[in-house]
Amino acid sequence: MNSNNDNHVIRVEGLTKSFGDNQVLKDINFDVNKGDVIAVIGSSGSGKSTLLRCLIDLEQADGGTIEIEGRRLVSDGVHADNKEKRAVIAEMGMVFQHFNLFPHLSVRENLELAPKLRSVGTEREIEDRTAYYLDKVGLSERIDAMPSTLSGGEKQRVAIARALMMRPDILLFDEPTSALDPELTGEVLKVMEKLAQEHMTMIVVTHEMSFARSAASKILFMNQGIILEEGTPDEIFMNPKQPRTKEFLSSIER
Amino acid sequence: MSWDYIVTLFVPLIQGAGMTLAVFAVTFILSLPLGFCVTLQLNSRHSFTHWFAETYVYILRGTPLLLQILFVYFGLPLIPGIGPYLTFSRFTAACVAFVLNYAAYFGEIFRGGLLAIDPGQYEASKVLGLTRFETMTKVVIPQMIRVCLPSISNETITLLKDTALVTVIGVAEILHYAKTEVNRDGTPFPFVLAAILYLIINFVITFIFKKLEKKYEQ
Repeated sequence: MNSNNDNHVIRVEGLTKSFGDNQVLKDINFDVNKGDVIAVIGSSGSGKSTLLRCLIDLEQADGGTIEIEGRRLVSDGVHADNKEKRAVIAEMGMVFQHFNLFPHLSVRENLELAPKLRSVGTEREIEDRTAYYLDKVGLSERIDAMPSTLSGGEKQRVAIARALMMRPDILLFDEPTSALDPELTGEVLKVMEKLAQEHMTMIVVTHEMSFARSAASKILFMNQGIILEEGTPDEIFMNPKQPRTKEFLSSIER
Repeated sequence: MSWDYIVTLFVPLIQGAGMTLAVFAVTFILSLPLGFCVTLQLNSRHSFTHWFAETYVYILRGTPLLLQILFVYFGLPLIPGIGPYLTFSRFTAACVAFVLNYAAYFGEIFRGGLLAIDPGQYEASKVLGLTRFETMTKVVIPQMIRVCLPSISNETITLLKDTALVTVIGVAEILHYAKTEVNRDGTPFPFVLAAILYLIINFVITFIFKKLEKKYEQ
């Protein structure tokens, strides 16, 4: 089942997905290498979020193959059984646009619920990890706070820490700063840049072009359900080949 | 009216309060989990179980509880074949009718509570690797309870008052004794004492729910 190139942690081939008559993803193909930071950009409705959600089975692909670290979530449109899916999903963490923290649990409990239930480390290790990751996102002093008392930026940083607690090899971000006030996006992006520097493999659906430009190793530009153009940030931002890419970039930079 | 007289009126009522609380407690403890099962069936994708739960709620909310009590006690034993197995004591018949009735109401309350849960909570649970059961018990139900508590509190107060209905099949609860005294002594005063007893019990119930709501507030 291993792909030819052992560096590939994600391999997507011929991925398709429709909602009713609306084909949102049409033949998506791309690879992600270990340590890559992929920024997925494109206008609303281009299929960016759906693509990300298919990778972690929040949406079920209609066709194609999704391979994560050599294990197949979907193989030529045939889905793996639930046990295998759970194992594949466990390799990944996800950060949502609207944080999705558990509002009835404190910051500490949000971080520790899943690792304790899944026994990802001993109790002691989990508690040490909580301290470590909260420090990393700069929220050590809010360990006992309830989510409702946090700002949007703080909530998202807790959500990132919560995802890291499960020791994922790959982190998926679905527009992590889109629900934040502009002055709060910086603190979240800084955490993400730090993770990128530490060579965490990340796929980030984003409208933050400055982040895509500075932190990403590869940009995927999506348009109407396909990856219209891909390349390094320099290639995409300095010298886009497709007229539609140029149009998109000039429209958001105005 | 002497104090001694009031005390002699009050003692049987206290005895009746024991029965009132028994019906109340059995109903409360059994109808909450049964109500949650009803909610799960209402949300079920299987059309038969969904239809069954909807019909169940429709019938039990659409007919008087008084009628349901009479039906369970007098009606069920007359069903050919299974009737003899459905012949209950007064107390059991009262509890069966109450549990079935209140499960329908609690089921509807929980359904509203489940609708209030953000779909993102299920998604976050899934990507963190929680099982369906863990998602329900650790994430969904605690939030659902918080949303539902005011309605559950309201329904519980109604439940206590509704227990007075079981006097119709001769269960010896508060109202049963009060009526006996009224008929015997020709004074409506025992009804006042009964009212005071209900108010005291409901005061305690309200107090407990206020505490619970505070606890779940954060």
